[in-house]
Amino acid sequence: MNNKIIFYGLIVAFGLVVPFLFPAFKLQISIMLILIILSLTWDVQGGQMGYNTFGNILFFGLGMYICSSFQIGLFFPLAEWTASGGEKTFVHTPTQFFQGFAVGLVLSGIIPALVAALIGYGILGLRGHYFAICTLGLGIAAGELAGGIELVGAGQGMTSPPWPKGIGDTELRSEFFYYICFTLMVCTFLFLRWAYTTRFGLVLNAIRDNEDKAEAMGINTMRYKITGWVVSAFFVGMAGGLMGNMIGYIEPVETAFAGRTFGVFMVLMAILGGKGTLWGPVIGAVAFHIFKEGFWIFFLGWQYVALGALIVIVVIFFPEGIMGWFREKYPERFGEVIDEEDRKAEVKLN
Amino acid sequence: MDLFKKIFSIFAAISFFVSLALPAQAKVEGDTIILGAAVSLTGKYSTNGEHTQNGYNMAVQRINDMGGVTVGGKSYKFDIIYYDDESDSGRAAQLAERLIKQDGVQYMLGPYSSGLTKAMAPVTEENQIPMVEANGASRSLFTKGYKYLFAVLSAANQYLEVAIDLAVEKNGGNPVNIAMAFEQDAFSQDVRIGVVEAAERTGSTIIIDDKLPKELNDMAATLAKVKATKPDVLVVSGHSKGALTAIRQISEMKVDIPMLAMTHCDASKLAKQHGKNSEYALCAAQWHKTLSYSDSFFGDGQQFDKDFNDMFGYAPPYQAAESAAALLVYKAAFERANSFDKEKVRDALAQTDMQTFYGNIKFNDTGQNIAKPMVLFQVRCEGDVCANRVVAPTKWASHELVHPIPSWSTR
Repeated sequence: MNNKIIFYGLIVAFGLVVPFLFPAFKLQISIMLILIILSLTWDVQGGQMGYNTFGNILFFGLGMYICSSFQIGLFFPLAEWTASGGEKTFVHTPTQFFQGFAVGLVLSGIIPALVAALIGYGILGLRGHYFAICTLGLGIAAGELAGGIELVGAGQGMTSPPWPKGIGDTELRSEFFYYICFTLMVCTFLFLRWAYTTRFGLVLNAIRDNEDKAEAMGINTMRYKITGWVVSAFFVGMAGGLMGNMIGYIEPVETAFAGRTFGVFMVLMAILGGKGTLWGPVIGAVAFHIFKEGFWIFFLGWQYVALGALIVIVVIFFPEGIMGWFREKYPERFGEVIDEEDRKAEVKLN
Repeated sequence: MDLFKKIFSIFAAISFFVSLALPAQAKVEGDTIILGAAVSLTGKYSTNGEHTQNGYNMAVQRINDMGGVTVGGKSYKFDIIYYDDESDSGRAAQLAERLIKQDGVQYMLGPYSSGLTKAMAPVTEENQIPMVEANGASRSLFTKGYKYLFAVLSAANQYLEVAIDLAVEKNGGNPVNIAMAFEQDAFSQDVRIGVVEAAERTGSTIIIDDKLPKELNDMAATLAKVKATKPDVLVVSGHSKGALTAIRQISEMKVDIPMLAMTHCDASKLAKQHGKNSEYALCAAQWHKTLSYSDSFFGDGQQFDKDFNDMFGYAPPYQAAESAAALLVYKAAFERANSFDKEKVRDALAQTDMQTFYGNIKFNDTGQNIAKPMVLFQVRCEGDVCANRVVAPTKWASHELVHPIPSWSTR
């Protein structure tokens, strides 16, 4: 137990000093933290519950739009902010900026969570491929819809409020968003770590292993499935709100409902790291981000080919992901007791 | 727990090596001035991203071959760090930050498309890094009070205003009925704003106003409406793919319209790809090789056209020409500033007033080039060979506008 506390303490300490160790990489690392949140929350459905969702990107985009809309709408007319591709300029005072940001960020968690509860009731009744395809449609439809809503800039996108003038420079801005991202990541991780130790976690696993049996045993699986999705939507939505602020420009299909990039990445990262484990998605996200950024430099124009090759390698050599591979190699470290005598015993077939 | 420590230390080590692999470069290394650019090498803008990159590369090579940039009595060469923004605005904003913070770039070149420029401009502006861009035409780029953004091209809303004016003129000065279909992206929606304003100004009526999805590859529904309502002019904008889709379906469905106004005809090589089917399409362009501008690096438009063709094997669309011009603007600004201080370079950029093969360049307070008009050309065929012929403004017109477009039954 002591070891664990030291280990977590070290990670948190490392996280706190990172902006000073790698000052040029603050945005990159912040985005990595967002990716960790995305893969952790995807794993609630995809890994623990066995429901492969492509729809979590819906909450990411919603969170992005909601956060920025409230940040703007609380102080200025939103329709004027986005009119004609954002021709008019409004400037937030620091107080307005931070008040708006706090309200926007909280709502960017709550509203997607409500949406998840509403649509979850219908969609989570689907299983297997049907569920996957249905959720795939969600993200695409949301992107097209957002592209038609004039209030949020439609196809021209909208800018999120720029960092207010008069309080620090771009360094302070990146540090601010880095620490918010870090806090959100830690909260997500701790919450899920706790949730997986409760009955909730066990039920999710039961649903994955045999949903009919779980139901037959008297578990209201739908309730748990919806709760799981609400949890994911809450954290993904907040991650989206943060991302919108960090990037500064929200485009319906490229940044908000970016099914082709973040929507796919979150699945990939969880699988790369090992789905159904707590640490797998974290390790997967870190490894993925480092590889991806590396490929972007060294294989300019061929980065997706290199990424494809990496996926093929993972599928062939690490079908269970990085954590799965470790688990197979060192099962005793994962609390699996191995009877050495039994293991070495000769097996005789009749 | 040791295992976790191992994993942890491995990743700490990896991140350390990654940071070593990316040393923060200085803005000027030895005798090289390093510019940064994120262009679309993959994704939906990859064709136009390539035109942009080719334009940049050709200008860098030409300037370096002709003695480079002279600052403080010493000659420097240009070099560009490229990244691929994948036609994704989120990615573009990240790359802008990466170029500035990690690669230490102090002078930026623009990406391709309004949307990506809109995503990058807030980053360069916040970091006070000058950016000369050649492919972001959105009007909203010039109303934000950006101080470090300079665009060598005319704003998007000016693209097809002229076409509406022409249609009204051909209609005896009477208002016309306009049908329009625009892709849901920053650039096309800005072109739409220009057309809407022109319609208001001339009292014309917009009878069809369709928004089309990104990566436009079907507009049959719009065309069916056009067939039924018979407007005087059809306006379509959706980058290269939109232009190709429009011509393909108009010719398949044999839609007769008196005037068809579009964008991106030369970037999509419309005249070559669709031949006679594309004849009479009216296109807005930032530049055409027959315009009578010239400079000492590329000569005139015809010369640029020839040199570009020799180097890359295809005729330069205006995207390549304006991109090359951006480098000429930078070179002149560095020499005028006679310094590498980014503030001095910015001030020198703001005072730009020069002629290039691509057109005159003079920025107003918002960084917009106000010295260069748009041109309109019409695809015309002689036998089976089709080419773009300038029809407006009259100063450079080589051919008369054919209006109305002959019906498909007579073509």
